[in-house]
Amino acid sequence: MKKLLVLVCVFALVGSMAFAGGAAETSKVSADGLGGKLLIYTSMYDDVIEAIDRTLEKAFPTVDIEFFYGGTGTLQAKIAAEIAAGKLGCDMLMVADPSYALELKEMGVLQPIMIDNTADIAFDYDKEGYWYPVRISNMVLAFNPGKFKKSEIPNSFYDFAYDKGVAGMVSMSNPLTSGTALDTISALKDKYGYDYYRALGEQKVKIESGSVALTKLETGECKVVMILEESVLQKREMDKSKIEVIYPTDGTIVVPSPIMSINDKWSPNKNSKAAKAVTEWFLSQEGQKNIVKAWMHSVSATYPDAPYDAIPTKQILANTIPVDWANTVTLREEMRTKFQEAVAKK
Amino acid sequence: MSKIIIKDVMKAFGDVVVLNDFNAEFADGEFITLLGPSGCGKTTMLRMIAGFEKPTKGEIFIGEQEVSSTKTFVPPEKRDIGMVFQSYAVWPHMTVFENVAYPLKMKKMDKANIKEHVARVLEIVHLSQYAERVPSQLSGGQQQRVALARALVAEPQLLLLDEPLSNLDAKLRDSMRFEIKEIQKALGITVVYVTHDQMEAMTMSDRVIVINHGDIQQIGKPTEIYRYPANQFVADFVGKINFIKATSANGEVQFKDSNQKLPYDGELKGDVVVGIRPENLRFIKTNGDLKGTMVSQFYLGDVNDCRVDIGGEQIRVIAEPKSFDKHAEGESILLRVDEFSVFEDTGDDEHMKILT
Amino acid sequence: MRSPTRSTSPSPLMVHRKWFMDPKWIIIALIVGFLLVFQVFPLLYLVFRAFFSTGKFSLAAFKRVYTYPLNWSALVNTLVTAFFSMVFGVLIAFPLAWLIGRTNLYGKKFFRTLFVATYMVPPYVGAMAWMRLLNPTVGSMNVFLQKIFNLSAAPFNIYTTGGLIWVLTGFYYPYAFITISRAMEKMDPSLEEASRISGASPLMTLRTITLPMMLPSIVAAALLVFIAAASAYGIPSIIGVPGQIHTVTTRIIDFVYIGSQEGLTDATTLAVFLMIIANIVLYLSTFTLGKRQYITVSGKSTRPNIVDLGKWRVLISMMVVLFALVIVIIPFITVALSSITVNLGEPVFSQGNMTLRYWARIFTRKSILSSSKNSLLSAIMAATFGMGISCMMAYLLVRTKVKGRKIPDFMITVGSGTPSVVIALSLIMAMSGKFGINIYNTLTIMVIAYMIKYMMMGMRTVVSALSQISPSLEEASQISGASWLKSMKNVTLPLIAPAIVAGWFLIFMPCFYELTMSTLLYSTNTKTLGYELFTYQTYHNQQTASALATAILIIVFGINWLLNKLTDGEFSI
Repeated sequence: MKKLLVLVCVFALVGSMAFAGGAAETSKVSADGLGGKLLIYTSMYDDVIEAIDRTLEKAFPTVDIEFFYGGTGTLQAKIAAEIAAGKLGCDMLMVADPSYALELKEMGVLQPIMIDNTADIAFDYDKEGYWYPVRISNMVLAFNPGKFKKSEIPNSFYDFAYDKGVAGMVSMSNPLTSGTALDTISALKDKYGYDYYRALGEQKVKIESGSVALTKLETGECKVVMILEESVLQKREMDKSKIEVIYPTDGTIVVPSPIMSINDKWSPNKNSKAAKAVTEWFLSQEGQKNIVKAWMHSVSATYPDAPYDAIPTKQILANTIPVDWANTVTLREEMRTKFQEAVAKK
Repeated sequence: MSKIIIKDVMKAFGDVVVLNDFNAEFADGEFITLLGPSGCGKTTMLRMIAGFEKPTKGEIFIGEQEVSSTKTFVPPEKRDIGMVFQSYAVWPHMTVFENVAYPLKMKKMDKANIKEHVARVLEIVHLSQYAERVPSQLSGGQQQRVALARALVAEPQLLLLDEPLSNLDAKLRDSMRFEIKEIQKALGITVVYVTHDQMEAMTMSDRVIVINHGDIQQIGKPTEIYRYPANQFVADFVGKINFIKATSANGEVQFKDSNQKLPYDGELKGDVVVGIRPENLRFIKTNGDLKGTMVSQFYLGDVNDCRVDIGGEQIRVIAEPKSFDKHAEGESILLRVDEFSVFEDTGDDEHMKILT
Repeated sequence: MRSPTRSTSPSPLMVHRKWFMDPKWIIIALIVGFLLVFQVFPLLYLVFRAFFSTGKFSLAAFKRVYTYPLNWSALVNTLVTAFFSMVFGVLIAFPLAWLIGRTNLYGKKFFRTLFVATYMVPPYVGAMAWMRLLNPTVGSMNVFLQKIFNLSAAPFNIYTTGGLIWVLTGFYYPYAFITISRAMEKMDPSLEEASRISGASPLMTLRTITLPMMLPSIVAAALLVFIAAASAYGIPSIIGVPGQIHTVTTRIIDFVYIGSQEGLTDATTLAVFLMIIANIVLYLSTFTLGKRQYITVSGKSTRPNIVDLGKWRVLISMMVVLFALVIVIIPFITVALSSITVNLGEPVFSQGNMTLRYWARIFTRKSILSSSKNSLLSAIMAATFGMGISCMMAYLLVRTKVKGRKIPDFMITVGSGTPSVVIALSLIMAMSGKFGINIYNTLTIMVIAYMIKYMMMGMRTVVSALSQISPSLEEASQISGASWLKSMKNVTLPLIAPAIVAGWFLIFMPCFYELTMSTLLYSTNTKTLGYELFTYQTYHNQQTASALATAILIIVFGINWLLNKLTDGEFSI
């Protein structure tokens, strides 16, 4: 009996120690007045975050930077709930959907940040400084040459939905939770109409995240998946995977993901000084190097390299399906609903 | 027809031996009681006859049929036995009628016949008007009679009763004892009855088997068991008895503490234990077998319960009630010993202290 | 059950001094107060919101939600999958409970532990495994069967309603197994023996005596499985959603994720459906069946008559082994192997395909560590506070005849019967500042949600232990001169300590890996292990998720084993 009580005590002790472990925080301030906490919501994968987090710690030793990840849709739901409750949980946002930046700017929760090195930025940015593109994610197709021949695989978004040869063996992300997926279905709707959604439904497309889709390519459960280029590149470099990117012949969907800061009225740490420094860092050569190392393309016109195993950024930009960002905001609910109805099992 | 033979039966649960070399034969129509303290193995023996346990060794025959041996094992449902359980085991989801009809239904008897049989047996146990009740509406005694009716309805060759009266109150127990005996006589079936209550064993049985620690202590008629107990355990377990340490020599037993003597021509010599039942001692005016001093007496109405010091030790005397007025505490008295037993002194003092 | 008016609204009787002074009343008032604020009010508000979404009474939300075809199919899917999981769950659980409790099956003890332990495993772990085993194109079990039986196509497809039922059944039948086993242990074995001696074969006895006697427990077990399956989120979101089979829970969470006020209203409206179903089921199991309890506890403990399976013994034992292999062992091994495989398309033992990097990851990733810490902390708090309330409730229920003691008991029962997603949703809406309490985004809201959902398991354990201890033991201690408090400490507490520890772990375990409520309640710094694992599974990386799941399995079995060892088998979970 005593043994049992001892056991319970040990459990309680371990628990409280684990709790106490995180309590101690140091409050340092650097020479240029940077310090405090900075919380960033992001939709980047955890491998990427882990690497960037470590680099940022070195670049800003006095700022306690913390990332919180989730799919863009998940974060949007969270932010909506937080706004309704009157308090946001984050100081900065690095989600994948540029249209969301337009919406947040409208809502007045963003902090304008003016930076110097804007000349290099090859993509649209907010002239008032409410948001800047910081990384390029490309929606592409991918397949596994170890399991299927390239000739069997559709090489355009159109064939992805209409080639019956791959029916039941295709997969894409959920526009309800993923920002890039939302932008993708927005662009494809503009190009092919809502019929495209119905075609996807008839193709019995599986709705799941990129990492699950990649696993299904590996095992051969899927023939071709609609996926972010960076996920494939990461897999190729890290796991020496044979999975290949197909840049669709009807155009790649290019999503320049923004970085935004929350204004002092809404942010929990009211640390716009640090937010400005971090924004500048991400847009600097050093920051872009880290972005490219994390298998995404640089937003800078002058940055020389493409990510590991990717084709040059210019080549991708030569053939794209454009996304109407404003439209994506206004039609968001409608597209999500139509998409869900189309792909849901009858 | 329903003779039962138990040959060299041994039962062990794992390493624990609960029954040793059990040998017995029950005659047709005989009422046999297995008597012993709890944990002695009597219930295990009953469950082996029923077929709920397999003997580790040995054979059991019911009638001419070998029901249990190393080669054969007949499951309980094929043994044609009626049984009443200690907890009655009346099925709560069936009415009294359905409970009692169950064994007949298992025999695939037709409905009209079942009705007739059940009615007859309910008559016997005085439950006719309760046929449509469910068990939760019955008293303990009534449930017990449902169980009895169920055990009897198929007219089994053998009826097993596992402490059926232990959950009833004293009055009900008395009347049920006679009812069971009556029914057994009327139907003429063989009954094996398990109990730890010597009163039940004495009043109902044709023969009693006393068991202790998995061994048979004695088999005999109730009178034999009572008057000629085979050993100290039996003498002590059945009825009340005074044990006195003594030495046997030259046709006499001499009490060790008081040096008083009783004539004895039995075979035992040397250290012995003399057992005298309290009711076999009488107060007498002259020519007493033993001398003593009255220590205390309690008037109980039907008897006078006394303690007498016979020199170094006290013995209990149960005398006729009128003697209470004739004697006083501290008075010297003479005792006549009507009957006594002599046991070998095993050096085991377990039984010596028991006086009540 | 009485309505909770007595203790809450002041009645004329309250003026009586004694009622004010009795500490038992203060305890009841505190517990009832806690439950009123954090359980009853949010649930009522949820229903209110569904009808008054725009400020005044309107059925518009209902109309919108229930005329939407996707929601309809979700409703149908929920009812169909839950119903069949219930039927199959009981069809599996009853024979297993009988074989293990009443026959000479080989390896009974081992199987018992194995099947009970599955109860402690997070269900979504199983979903992960089955996705790998039975997907229609390359599922390893499908491929294996195809090879053996020379089939042209895969025999099974996990992404179907059937597949969903299969996985739900495989993970929720232990609920029925435990309930039925316990009832079977309590049944007086001589009831079955009486049938045998009356001429019925073992099978006949099973059909005419055991089965009808057990019926109330079987129905209760079935309803338990139904509710668990109908309110599951992990399994349908991993198995169902990729195959476009939505259930009410996945729809509710989708609606919440849409993020708009309308989405929240729609979620609420759907949640009301789930709540009504759950309440009907609860009513059926507690109040209708409660009156037909047959189970009689035998006066003396005879060992149950063991049915000899005879020539079938080996065959049936083999079938149970096969069942255990398919339902428990193969899925666990699949998950464990996934956690050390780089390329899941290649065999794990092929060259360079084995790695421990995912395992290293779960011990180094900041977010995983902090989530583990959160889960540990909130589970410990929920278990400790939950047991505190459970012990007080047990004392009130078993040892006193205080009027109104059934009210908190009833509320706790309702709480545990309410689907997790409904509890979480109602807490979000009522506890985010609108009514003066703002605990949204804190660990507190998590702990409260866990307590409401899982407290009953602890309470039932303590109640049954306490009711087996005769009050005369306490009285004997008081007669010997010990105060009431001392008597509790010296006599009662040591006797029910094993039950308290067991109850503590019964609450701790499901809270430790809880997913559904955490998915809705987590915030930046209150992410939990269950949610973390789920995110890794569906978002980042499945191998890491597998490693995490394997680690949780090891912890669950480890704790179980340790407790068993320390108490010399006196208890295990």
